[in-house]
Amino acid sequence: MKKSGFITLILALACFTAQADPPRLVIGAVYVGSVNDYGYNRSFHDALAQVARDLPGVKVLEAENVPESATAEGIMEGMIQQGARLIFPTSFGYAASARKVAKRHKDVAFEYAGDGDASRNFGVFFGSTQIAWYPMGVAAGRMTKTNKLGFVVGMPIGYALGNVNAFQMGARSVNKKVQTVVVVTGGWADKAKEAGAANALMDQGCDVVGMHVDSPATIIQTVEARGGMSIGFQSTEARALAPKGWITGLGFTWAPFFTKVARDVMAGKFRGEAVYQGLGGMVAIAPFGPSVSADVQRQVNEAAQKIIKGFNPFTGPIKDNRGNLVLPPGASIGSDQMGSFDWYAEGIIGKVR
Amino acid sequence: MMTPLALGVLAGAVLSGTSLLYATLGETLVERSGIVNLGLEGVLLMGASVGFSVTAVTGNPWIGLAAAALTGGLANALFGWLVVLRKANQLASGLAMMFFGFGLSALVGAPHVGAVIVGLPKWRPAWLAALPWVSASTLFNYDLLTWLALPVALLVWWVLFKTRWGLGVRAVGESPGAAYASGRNPAVLQFQALGFGGVLAGLAGAHLSLSLTLTWAEYMTAGRGFIAIALVIFSKWNPLRAVAGALLFGGAEALQLQLQARGSLISPFILDMMPYVLTLLVLLAWGGSRRLAAPAGLGRTFFGSE
Repeated sequence: MKKSGFITLILALACFTAQADPPRLVIGAVYVGSVNDYGYNRSFHDALAQVARDLPGVKVLEAENVPESATAEGIMEGMIQQGARLIFPTSFGYAASARKVAKRHKDVAFEYAGDGDASRNFGVFFGSTQIAWYPMGVAAGRMTKTNKLGFVVGMPIGYALGNVNAFQMGARSVNKKVQTVVVVTGGWADKAKEAGAANALMDQGCDVVGMHVDSPATIIQTVEARGGMSIGFQSTEARALAPKGWITGLGFTWAPFFTKVARDVMAGKFRGEAVYQGLGGMVAIAPFGPSVSADVQRQVNEAAQKIIKGFNPFTGPIKDNRGNLVLPPGASIGSDQMGSFDWYAEGIIGKVR
Repeated sequence: MMTPLALGVLAGAVLSGTSLLYATLGETLVERSGIVNLGLEGVLLMGASVGFSVTAVTGNPWIGLAAAALTGGLANALFGWLVVLRKANQLASGLAMMFFGFGLSALVGAPHVGAVIVGLPKWRPAWLAALPWVSASTLFNYDLLTWLALPVALLVWWVLFKTRWGLGVRAVGESPGAAYASGRNPAVLQFQALGFGGVLAGLAGAHLSLSLTLTWAEYMTAGRGFIAIALVIFSKWNPLRAVAGALLFGGAEALQLQLQARGSLISPFILDMMPYVLTLLVLLAWGGSRRLAAPAGLGRTFFGSE
């Protein structure tokens, strides 16, 4: 879901452990952007630093700003030559390169952040954010004064639609009058349009804005300047951008899963699987902002707990925003089908196509 | 409070149009001297990236702005070295400059991705804020670059059409041979036009990163440099018409976002195409007109001064 870095390749190889003994495991990580982005790439970097701290003898090689092209293949081959036995291709667009390299090196384990089939040495994982947006909606539904929420979407792919739907459904669970207005910018990082979209939502009286774009920085700062409130995405650190209007947000916590995978590889019992985890697993809720009352925080945490215990808001009957029954009673959309949304839930102002 | 559609679009048009106008004015100056710089997109990116990085390091957006202007000037000077002194092909060199700009801006900006900066200060006179609707919108709450956009357009027009230097630049753009024969040095005038045009393009990039979005992301200009090149043609190489062009394109972009926020039933994909369809229509409509058309020497390399 990351837009590819355009041209430059900056290869940064970092070691977390400097010791004379040969490392017990060398891990290679390939990033599409900079690890300083306070967002997507940073979340992987932080997780691998945690793995290196927790497991003695683990060494991490990192390559930043690697384009989603054949270049990525060469980078991964280079890491394997330097002894890497576990590779994390962390962007969606690395699928083809990573699968090719994995076929050539059956003795190297791959954990790819994306979707598709798993094989013996090729695992697939991702944080399932869609259902996690439900408690974000609870927060927004309680905090809004105008009963109009805004949501900026880069591209209207199924995963993004799922995020918006859960957000609106969570908001509606605590506030029957609430609506969510969606604005699509047409790119994951068209910053000027993101500013324009945030301004358009504020012009329409939306007072809480969420987003699904690469970096939430522009939207959060534009909303803050207009006196609105925001719910962040991709990074739990984004609250620094909105000292007044920050409510909460979602970020990724990969470390527990990465540690388990590293242990498996060292023990020689790695088997690739498709692993999608939401709240309580790979997705975490960011700290609350100063304006969020203890009562609202309690309600958001309750919704989160409910989800961790297995509640799935995408369980029928569900109507779309044109009144069609899209999910009959009893049917549900599982966490492995989150890319399949092609409708907006009831109360969302927006058009998919 | 809800902002009426027209005001929302106007406000968005001004915010988004500011960087377009500076870029268009810069390219107009350059093209009036007979040079096409297809690398404008890269120059914008370098301005945005250097402006943001310097602001992140120094904490002062004015130093960032100055650095962006200087970067734009230097980038165009490099382009000038290629196409004026080395007599390289302008179109190929321009595209090479564009890719160079992509790469260099990414390199310079990489350590500062995610930095939180204080942007250019915004200022709205009290009497304007008192107008209906205005206080709740972004209207008239502008930074220095936006406030100066119209005066700068006037200045560029005045320089081009009312000064001896401007006459020289236009003469070189129409016919470098004739300008040379009348005692002007085409290379010097082209370098000067490139330098000033680059400064304006650098400011355009800086407006994106230091005011409108307060962030740096790779390729954040998203084609604005090419839109500006189209706007030069739209405005028939006239800095005053460029104001209308920038507002029109900025307005088309704002309109599609405002319509979505109002729950329009038009497909977001069609809305997203509007600014570009508009550009195509304008180019089509203007295409046949030869009056007030391009400088006659545009894109041609002048070999005669050796």
